[in-house]
Amino acid sequence: MRSLLFTLSLLCFASQTSLSWKKEEFRSCDQTPFCKRARSRSPGACSLIATDVTIADGDLVAKLTPKDNDDQINPLVLSLSVYGDGIVRLRIDEDHSLNPPKKRFRVPDVVVPELEEKKIRLEKFATENDPPSSVVYVSDGYEAVVRHEPFEVYVRERSGDRRRVVSLNSHGLFDFEQLGKKGEGDDWEEKFRTHTDSRPFGSQSISFDVSFYESSFVYGIPEHATSFALKPTKGPGVEESAEPYRLFNLDVFEYEHESPFGLYGSIPFMVSHGGTGKSSGFFWLNAAEMQIDVLAEGWDAESGGGESRIDTLWMSEAGIVDTFFFAGPEPKDVVRQYASVTGTSAMPQLFATGYHQCRWNYKDEEDVAQVDSKFDEHDIPYDVLWLDIEHTDGKRYFTWDSALFPNPEEMQKKLDAKGRRMVTIVDPHIKRDDSYFLHKEATEMGYYVKDSSGKDFDGWCWPGSSSYIDMLSPEIREWWGGRFSYKNYVGSTPSLYIWNDMNEPSVFNGPEVTMPRDALHVGGVEHREVHNAYGYYFHMATSDGLVMRGEGKDRPFVLSRAIFPGTQRYGAIWTGDNTAEWEHLRVSIPMLLTLGLTGITFSGADIGGFFGNPEPELLVRWYQVGAYYPFFRGHAHHDTKRREPWLFGERNTELMRDAIHTRYTLLPYFYTLFREANVTGVPVLRPLWMEFPQDEATFSNDEAFMVGNGLLVQGVYTKGTTHASVYLPGKESWYDLRNGKTYVGGKTHKMDAPEESIPAFQRAGTIIPRKDRFRRSSFQMDNDPYTLVIALNSSQEADGELYIDDGKSFEFKRGAYIHRRFVFSNGVLTSKNVAPPEASLSSQCLIDRIILLGHSSGPNSALVEPLNQKAEIEMGPLRMGGLVASSGTNVLTIRKPGVRVDQDWTIKIL
Amino acid sequence: MRVLLSFLLLLFLVLASSAIRSSSSPVTDPFLGISPQDEKYYKSSSEIKCKDGSKRFTRAQLNDDFCDCADGTDEPGTSACPNGKFHCRNAGHSPLVLFSSRVNDGICDCCDGSDEYDGKVACSNTCWEAGKAARENLKKKIQTYNQGVVIRRKEIEQAKVGLDKDEAELKKLKIEQKILKGLVQQLKDRKEQIEKIEEKERLEKEKEEKERKEAEEAAQPGKGDGEEKTDGNEKVEGSTDGGEMPGVSQDDEILDENEHHDETGRYKDLDTDEESAAEAEPTSVLEEGTHNNPADQHVVETKEESPSSEDLIITAGSQHDGSTKKEESDEEEDIVSEKKEALSKEELGRLVASRWTGENSDKPSEADDSPKADEHENLEHTPTSPQEVEEDDGFVSDGDEETGDDGKYSDREPEDDTYEEEYRHDSTSSYKSDAEDDLDLSETTSSPTWLEKIQKTVKNILQAVNLFQTTPVDKSEADRVRKEYDESSSKLKKIQSRVSSLEKKLKQDFGPEKEFYSFHGRCFESKQGKYTYKVCAYKEATQEEGYSKTQLGGWEKFENSYQFMTYTNGDKCWNGPDRSLKIKLRCGLKNELMDVDEPSRCEYAAVLSTPARCLEDKLKELQEKLEKLMNQDQPQKHDEL
Repeated sequence: MRSLLFTLSLLCFASQTSLSWKKEEFRSCDQTPFCKRARSRSPGACSLIATDVTIADGDLVAKLTPKDNDDQINPLVLSLSVYGDGIVRLRIDEDHSLNPPKKRFRVPDVVVPELEEKKIRLEKFATENDPPSSVVYVSDGYEAVVRHEPFEVYVRERSGDRRRVVSLNSHGLFDFEQLGKKGEGDDWEEKFRTHTDSRPFGSQSISFDVSFYESSFVYGIPEHATSFALKPTKGPGVEESAEPYRLFNLDVFEYEHESPFGLYGSIPFMVSHGGTGKSSGFFWLNAAEMQIDVLAEGWDAESGGGESRIDTLWMSEAGIVDTFFFAGPEPKDVVRQYASVTGTSAMPQLFATGYHQCRWNYKDEEDVAQVDSKFDEHDIPYDVLWLDIEHTDGKRYFTWDSALFPNPEEMQKKLDAKGRRMVTIVDPHIKRDDSYFLHKEATEMGYYVKDSSGKDFDGWCWPGSSSYIDMLSPEIREWWGGRFSYKNYVGSTPSLYIWNDMNEPSVFNGPEVTMPRDALHVGGVEHREVHNAYGYYFHMATSDGLVMRGEGKDRPFVLSRAIFPGTQRYGAIWTGDNTAEWEHLRVSIPMLLTLGLTGITFSGADIGGFFGNPEPELLVRWYQVGAYYPFFRGHAHHDTKRREPWLFGERNTELMRDAIHTRYTLLPYFYTLFREANVTGVPVLRPLWMEFPQDEATFSNDEAFMVGNGLLVQGVYTKGTTHASVYLPGKESWYDLRNGKTYVGGKTHKMDAPEESIPAFQRAGTIIPRKDRFRRSSFQMDNDPYTLVIALNSSQEADGELYIDDGKSFEFKRGAYIHRRFVFSNGVLTSKNVAPPEASLSSQCLIDRIILLGHSSGPNSALVEPLNQKAEIEMGPLRMGGLVASSGTNVLTIRKPGVRVDQDWTIKIL
Repeated sequence: MRVLLSFLLLLFLVLASSAIRSSSSPVTDPFLGISPQDEKYYKSSSEIKCKDGSKRFTRAQLNDDFCDCADGTDEPGTSACPNGKFHCRNAGHSPLVLFSSRVNDGICDCCDGSDEYDGKVACSNTCWEAGKAARENLKKKIQTYNQGVVIRRKEIEQAKVGLDKDEAELKKLKIEQKILKGLVQQLKDRKEQIEKIEEKERLEKEKEEKERKEAEEAAQPGKGDGEEKTDGNEKVEGSTDGGEMPGVSQDDEILDENEHHDETGRYKDLDTDEESAAEAEPTSVLEEGTHNNPADQHVVETKEESPSSEDLIITAGSQHDGSTKKEESDEEEDIVSEKKEALSKEELGRLVASRWTGENSDKPSEADDSPKADEHENLEHTPTSPQEVEEDDGFVSDGDEETGDDGKYSDREPEDDTYEEEYRHDSTSSYKSDAEDDLDLSETTSSPTWLEKIQKTVKNILQAVNLFQTTPVDKSEADRVRKEYDESSSKLKKIQSRVSSLEKKLKQDFGPEKEFYSFHGRCFESKQGKYTYKVCAYKEATQEEGYSKTQLGGWEKFENSYQFMTYTNGDKCWNGPDRSLKIKLRCGLKNELMDVDEPSRCEYAAVLSTPARCLEDKLKELQEKLEKLMNQDQPQKHDEL
């Protein structure tokens, strides 16, 4: 009896971590009046019609008025803009000439200024009569249509069947609550638990339906810990109690791995994809709380099925309609179109693409030195060591605990001597302590967010009573950026970079652990209007601050937890406080795929899981998957056992070292992909269907992923597994990364997944650049020679690219880079320059090994031109990582061709 | 002369290293990075085998900066092979084997700079200085070992003596215990005899008295009847008490027991009358079928205590939402979160923060720097914080979970008692935690006559008492017997306790040569910041701050052939493991505790220097190492001259 109970209580204790998400502390849709109202509206409820259609300032504009305006509701202003490359922007707001109680918030500084250059100034529009509509031409064979009665906006193909692509208000669910003026006796307050929201302008929510045509699935709208292909949240076959996907930046303690609940970031951008291989996208630029329903087929009895259309319902608490339709048609077109609105991801410094070692907390300088030296002792490379909140003097950011970190500069210099960087944490909550310089200054300057009564908002976070810098203001952001100068941030050195945590913002004693919605930002903007973008502005200010610090010569590195459209321009993000469970490892892939699809490619999940203690097998598998995360960092909660890679016995050390080595070997490939993302917006980590848009078997696969166009990786997400089923798409073959073994495409293969590695394949027809030498960090790899791995397709051809720059400065923007395209065809490998002619960077680096996969054996030499030298061809090992593949997997290898990476040359197989 | 020599040597080395520096890749010395012992392998033939047997390579391919052998055999002097090893000779210091990842990486790893030869970085040769320092250190270490070994030997001798003494004492005590036991038994028998007689006498007296009274009452009729009746009543009651009632209550207990089994989460507390009122509620909670954790009790009670209507609604809501798999911990958190409703903003902030930190958000460090916060930090608002429960309520809440942790604590308690007793008796050094020399015992054991004395006394008494077996008991004689019985049995208890503590001691692991014998009963202290760490060998380790004391663990064992001492199952950590401590032992002339650290939450580490770890084998090893280093230097000096 006693032992039984004891066991039970132990069990309960053990499972505590997995189930401590406090659901009731957060609002459900039912507890959120605007969401409840919007969800209960029936199709066709919208009676707005478009009138007074005209062209003004290059836009198509119209008025939206109720058909029978008995309620004396003010007309709304609709304006439609068209940009090159298949982008249509639709805005709907209150008519400012009618003096609404205040101006509704338009999210500033997210849409990139360059978008204006792409604007097509409309001069005329066509009209159609059945039904009455106004039509404008969009580029690339698309046109945008405003149907007048009831109003509907959609994009369609110009020719053929004029197929629809994306539409808004096709089901008449549009609703726009206009701002009110509070009269006597109006009770507009909303209560949730102990918190009261004064809501001085009453209800101001907006909702509408959006339809995606020829779609099998919709994706996007992070951040949720759920499947990549979004499951329906309402309609037939969906539980009555199901919640919509919530977009509300929240600091969620121990989040669940299968939930539509809002996490740390919000990107209201959805992508559809369908069996025809076509994609489209829809983006709503709005920073207020949003809820989005994916409606199950047959949700609306009126609409017939079989159209392979997906309908969605978008609801926001405030703001305006500022939406973008992306016509596609290819998946990569959609992400490129989105990137031309919100920007592409910043080019990271090379070091940031290496391995990061973090823990809450590396305690003191001795601890730092110890961990650093252990990496060397075990020959495990890493680039960055991180310090969490405990390094500060009482959670006063920009300070150091003088007992634990008496010589921060010296500490950073010691790391820097090995080419390693340090990252310290700086959060947006400022300790309310009159003797703290930052608090003093922010108070005097009036830089804090105010509460609804106009006083500095006072909330609780790590330091205790805290106030929050008002990052909405460009002036305040500028000031904040200045805090990072070496002079202001005492103890910082050029090798120190920054981590922005808690920027949702997290307010421990606020409603839903965040800031009250009626708190006030500069210009009288209510927090409800700007909430989801708060962390974005903070991230921006910090990132710009680091640029200022480096006098514009050093690319910033700032990791943020909160995200918003545009975040990609300012740094990396991670998926927050995950848990050391297999399911959290599994869900990291759909989460990162979603982030990549919606612009934020530089993302990762904490290796090992933040909460809890991973068993060694889980940790090893996590490193093996994590080595392919664009952002590769191990992190752990302070209650967990130490888990640096060498703490689990020799074999596990070897396995983790090998996973990290794999990443370092592939750094040239990753860096090239980061550049691709920087230029085009196409993410580093891609869903299979982005590379194989026609292959329906890939549409809901979120256990495997592509790294660039050349690598397919299948994670192992279950304990004790040594086998895996891997679907390899396409018609061409795939080569096992470890042993060069060939697998045919278009088939699911059952294969070994031994503890040494997870299944990973190079796609036939690609060339992947590697650096096979191991170093302490990416810094020492600078001069090392390259290896090219050529995986030939069925026509004995392949191509690939390599991008190189100085790895740290902005000189690449002035053309200081190398960009080569390698093409193998007709038995000849050619290196071509694809950089603009003015591009200039030279490198002494050689390519000293070229591996040919899928080449018929026989040749034993190659002719290198223009050197006119012969190079030997022999059978060599196909090495990947540190573990050498078993013997007998020798592959055709061109030995020491002696060609430089920055020059044109050809190598002919003889 | 010697100075001059070393100067010349230094000069030579600087020149030599600059020569190396100026050379650049590819390697000029074809045998770079190969250890002298290995040179033969490479020089033996023109075709060299990879050590793993996978391949052969030509002399030209040796160190040609292209990796041919998967195991790195062909590239000992370059960074080309991921698995390669680079050997630097480090003349003047000891040779070093590097991962080939260090070769030409811009960082000087070998003190002779031989790992950096591509001209990108200039490494100065620091071998002489480094070697000198290393040799000095080694010498110092050897010196420590030399002395330590002697101390250790002494310790071992003393341990033998001590152990012999303990064994002898134990043997003696056992005999004494046996004798004394017999005496005590005799005294007990006699005491009981006396008491029987006394009882008899008393009854007789009473009877006499009664008869006398009856006689008197007979003279006053009517009264005696009544009294007899009452007497009879009493008797009836008495018999029911002893007969039926116990049976009933036993049945009850069995029933209760069954109930416990059924409901797994119910505790004895519920049996008591006060609790029975609350029974209805827990059952309803249990009916949900998911709550099987002891703390349910706590949950229910708390719910009753927070009858705010808002709370109830929320509770109802959270039960409605179909989260069938709600765990106990969740429930508990629910309470906490419900309590949130009643918290001030600040309390709420602290509470939410505590989820991540596992403690009050005002950590000690904060408290230090803001005394204001300290003032706020009174106990009124903290009961909801897990930390509070853990630290101050630990026993109470565990008490709730009677069956769960009861065992653990009840196991420990008696031990604690004896510790305390021993502490109290301890009059000697603060290092000693054990009362090895229990005062009373030492007194008794030191005088050989005490047992005889007792024996004699007892004999006397017994004889004396024998005399008046049938005659009325002499009051003073009876008292003497009692007193003597009390004294001897308390003495017996002491001896028994001493015997068991000795037996326990002798079962301890004192090391292969009993070199840790002197650790027994000793504590080692180290002050670090505001904490005092106290490690008592074979007992427990604690962290003390002012009056608060945290148990870091109970003695577990030596590990890794006596290189470590471990303490486990210390006080519980919220959201972490039970506290534990691992102490690394190293040779030193004194027993000294140092470097206490907490590398992982609640897992402590420390170093203890002790002569017990100054092993002769290790000394020999060090001496050989030094010899080798000295020898290595000698010929080179000659060479250079």
